[in-house]
Amino acid sequence: MSLSIGIDAGSSAIKVAVVQQTGGSGHEATHAVLGAGQRRIRGRGFGEVLDAAMGEALEKAGVRRDEISYIATTGEAEGVEFRTGHFYSMTTHARGALFLDADSRAAMDIGALHGRVIKMDERGKVLGYRMTNQCASGSGQFLENISRYLGVTRDELGKLSMSGETPEKVSGICAVLAETDVINMVSRGISTANILKGIHISMGTRCLKLVKSAKATGVIMVTGGLAHDEGLIAAMEEISEEKKFGFDLRVHPDSVYAGAIGAGIWGLFRNEKLMERGGLATA
Amino acid sequence: MELEQINALSMEELLTKCEAVCLDFNFTTVREWKAENPGQKAMGFLPTYVPRELIHAAGMLPVGVLGADDSLEIVRGDACFQSYICHLPRSVVELGMTGRLDCIDGMLFPSTCDVIRNLSGIWKMQFPDKLSLYFDAPQNFDMDIGGKFYRVVLDEIWAHMLKLNGSTATNDDLLASIALYNLNRRLCAEVYDMRAARPWVATASEVYILMRAGMLLPVEQHNVYLARYLELAEAETKAGNRREMDNARVVISGSFCEQPPLALVRTLERAGCYVVEDDYMMITRWLGCGVPVEGDALHNLVQSYMDYKGESAAKFVPDGCKKGTELIGRIGSTNAEGVLFSAPSFCDPALLDQPMLQEALDRVGISHTAFKYSENTGQLQPIRERAGTFADTIKLWGEA
Repeated sequence: MSLSIGIDAGSSAIKVAVVQQTGGSGHEATHAVLGAGQRRIRGRGFGEVLDAAMGEALEKAGVRRDEISYIATTGEAEGVEFRTGHFYSMTTHARGALFLDADSRAAMDIGALHGRVIKMDERGKVLGYRMTNQCASGSGQFLENISRYLGVTRDELGKLSMSGETPEKVSGICAVLAETDVINMVSRGISTANILKGIHISMGTRCLKLVKSAKATGVIMVTGGLAHDEGLIAAMEEISEEKKFGFDLRVHPDSVYAGAIGAGIWGLFRNEKLMERGGLATA
Repeated sequence: MELEQINALSMEELLTKCEAVCLDFNFTTVREWKAENPGQKAMGFLPTYVPRELIHAAGMLPVGVLGADDSLEIVRGDACFQSYICHLPRSVVELGMTGRLDCIDGMLFPSTCDVIRNLSGIWKMQFPDKLSLYFDAPQNFDMDIGGKFYRVVLDEIWAHMLKLNGSTATNDDLLASIALYNLNRRLCAEVYDMRAARPWVATASEVYILMRAGMLLPVEQHNVYLARYLELAEAETKAGNRREMDNARVVISGSFCEQPPLALVRTLERAGCYVVEDDYMMITRWLGCGVPVEGDALHNLVQSYMDYKGESAAKFVPDGCKKGTELIGRIGSTNAEGVLFSAPSFCDPALLDQPMLQEALDRVGISHTAFKYSENTGQLQPIRERAGTFADTIKLWGEA
């Protein structure tokens, strides 16, 4: 069966997934993820990071690059010269979320630079979206900056936050004000756990407002780099319960790869269409 | 640049040179031409169409004044126009009042819209010593009515051109210029055809640069650039440097006057669109390439203008029911899959036409989306989103 590679370049990491079409065709096709890999960019060259992430995904999938029928990019990867096609990130996150949980009717993509909620139908067709604008206070980059100030690693963030019992309120509108808030809290002797919980509540509130504003219902699959921040997810669940929103937020172990998986699946869909008309021209 | 030198350029050199010409808002190309042709004048013109043959035959350099992209801070220009007026006239005034257009000896303002008409008045007041002409192209395409009127307009402009440059050019000189511009339009058409057939060979941004450079370069040079580009694009493809990607084929509509920044065209390409047809710099195709080169030259120009079937929002379509038919025809002939309505902010003609064109597309089930820009648009993310999602819609939910 056909194979594709989905490449999702975010502003802090590149994620790659090798996807196989296992049956069916068109929008009814079924798929499997054979392997995935990701690399943080950390100031390194795009090409070098991409090669490493692709190498990891291909190795895990046990697939050679020349076996790939379609190389699909998404996110900031539109400059990848060897791509077959590019898909917009909302389209790919929606499809990726649907793959991870067939009941998903919205994807909440929280990445390094922004958060957004994408509403879709049962085929992964985007019906509408809402996203944070202008300010980075709802983003992973902001969280990363804060963790650096507090001397906490990214892996410790979630657990520490969940242990906070009396969270401090943080500005949810402006990253600069929020950072100032945090500096003040440190000088006032507020515990790291309570600071982090306050930040997670602030970010979670913003994200849930997007869900409300997008009028998303049913299962909401959290995707993007922050999907695995258990502190943020716990905060959103608490807020949703407290305010009786009734949102069904879900996270999948491969949530971070949703964009890459979605790109890979759409790549296979397009590959089928292109084959019907004789493929792409080589000259 | 000498013609032999152009023929020795590599693709990268050719595009770099053309881009430098486009983005040089000090009009160095014009200044150099005037230095090489002492005593000869340069005549500026605005979009959409002017008969460049008349300027050329009188021994002058036609210079397209297409604004200043995003490279100029507009101060004086803003003082002349209300906030609800498009950006092009502001930058034209700014270019003039900052001395950048000192090398231009006269200006032709076509009857594209009321704003360009007002700009001609402002220009006259600001630069009373320079020739400023309003080019009133007919909106009636009956040879006995519009044709007669247009002949009078062309007679007047021809007389002005000869007087401005102290020229004694004859009908034969004008026929020779028509032949040269026929060749120019034919080569432009070949480039457009190549882009429509294989948009990965002649890319939208390259074609944009090439055509925009042609607004400033002498036509003799531009013809060589065009021929060289066609040759190099084929060679690059044969060498395996250009291959097709899975992009959506789109037509751009609404950009016939104020030109978008180059970055916008590149954004559309990166967002997954192959622009197979556009209405940028429509002068490169207006009249077609078969204007007769025998007989009465002015009559030939009149007849060709009357016969030309191309449309823009600046041209009246007598039968309202037929509005959009020409666009649908171009979509069909270029195998496009959708239309990006890309109009400059506050462009009345484009924005008033848009709903009628969209309705016509809806009737035949052609996808479309719309965004606005101005020549100094720097925030391209919303356009990237719009174009990217549109391309996805075509590829994933369309017939393609």
